[in-house]
Amino acid sequence: MVVDRSVVKRGVVDALPLFVPAVPFALVIGLAIGEAGIGPFVGWSGSWLIFGGAAQLTLVSLLGSGAAVAAAVTAALVVNARHLMYSAGLAPTFQRQPAWFRWLGPYVLIDQLFALCSVQQEQDEDWFRTYYLSAGFTLWILWQLTTALGLAIGPVVPLEWNLEFAVPILFLGLIVMGIDKSSKVVAALVGAGVTYLTAGLPNRSSLLVGAVVGIAAGTIIERARR
Amino acid sequence: MSAFIATVVVGIGTYLSRAVFILALAKRRIPDGALLALQFVAPAVLGSLVIALLIDETGSVALGLPEAVALVVGGGVAFKTRNHIYTLLAGMAVFWLVSALI
Repeated sequence: MVVDRSVVKRGVVDALPLFVPAVPFALVIGLAIGEAGIGPFVGWSGSWLIFGGAAQLTLVSLLGSGAAVAAAVTAALVVNARHLMYSAGLAPTFQRQPAWFRWLGPYVLIDQLFALCSVQQEQDEDWFRTYYLSAGFTLWILWQLTTALGLAIGPVVPLEWNLEFAVPILFLGLIVMGIDKSSKVVAALVGAGVTYLTAGLPNRSSLLVGAVVGIAAGTIIERARR
Repeated sequence: MSAFIATVVVGIGTYLSRAVFILALAKRRIPDGALLALQFVAPAVLGSLVIALLIDETGSVALGLPEAVALVVGGGVAFKTRNHIYTLLAGMAVFWLVSALI
């Protein structure tokens, strides 16, 4: 397979702004690992064993607070249950891909990568695979480095900058760029609204409730139109 | 040691949640009804994530004036420029500016 370098570059360049907000998050995880007292290597191993910041932070902080191991594992898995939707959302595109990529690709399927690639599903197979792997492993390498850095030297970016707010901004940007019909606007607005109304639910499950209702709303509108 | 095993278990569970539909549906025909619904996964999940990421430890949504104005400006810049860097810079600049003013 001939790799198109311009697509690699595009994947890397698109991934970089999405990583900026992950920097303070990675540093917080580094701090939490230190406070949890589970040892730096065990704490950092979650960066490549799990590769998902929210679940890693949930696991580390619950273990650190003395919660039962089973409870900490369950909470972390609930936090990561949203990935089921990413898997389903990209499944039609992965049907046209080679088997090795179907096994490797999911390993790096984090929020940011789903956001980037879900709006590129119309591209041809080689383009999509190159883009997915370039963006995915850019995020992966940076995540390994910054969580290790957070562990080693603590917060180098002041938390008062609230850099984590960049994530919702970028995700909203991706919604705007990915919308090609009004039923998708409805799906996004209903998802956001229901998540807002159910925000008090434990373990971030409001996200799952909001997303499912949003998908249903978009589907119903689209059906009614046909 | 139990912390490492816990991490391995969460890692396996996470991989499975990301892989299950991609692998299970690899060779099957996906019903038209499911395909219709799947196109709404991205907008619905991303829309929900925008709000979910603002939920604080107490379970309330931290959506004040700076956040709201920054989201509107960021969304507008994304629509106009289709560029992630401009979207990020504009949104964060407005967020910091409005936070400093109020």
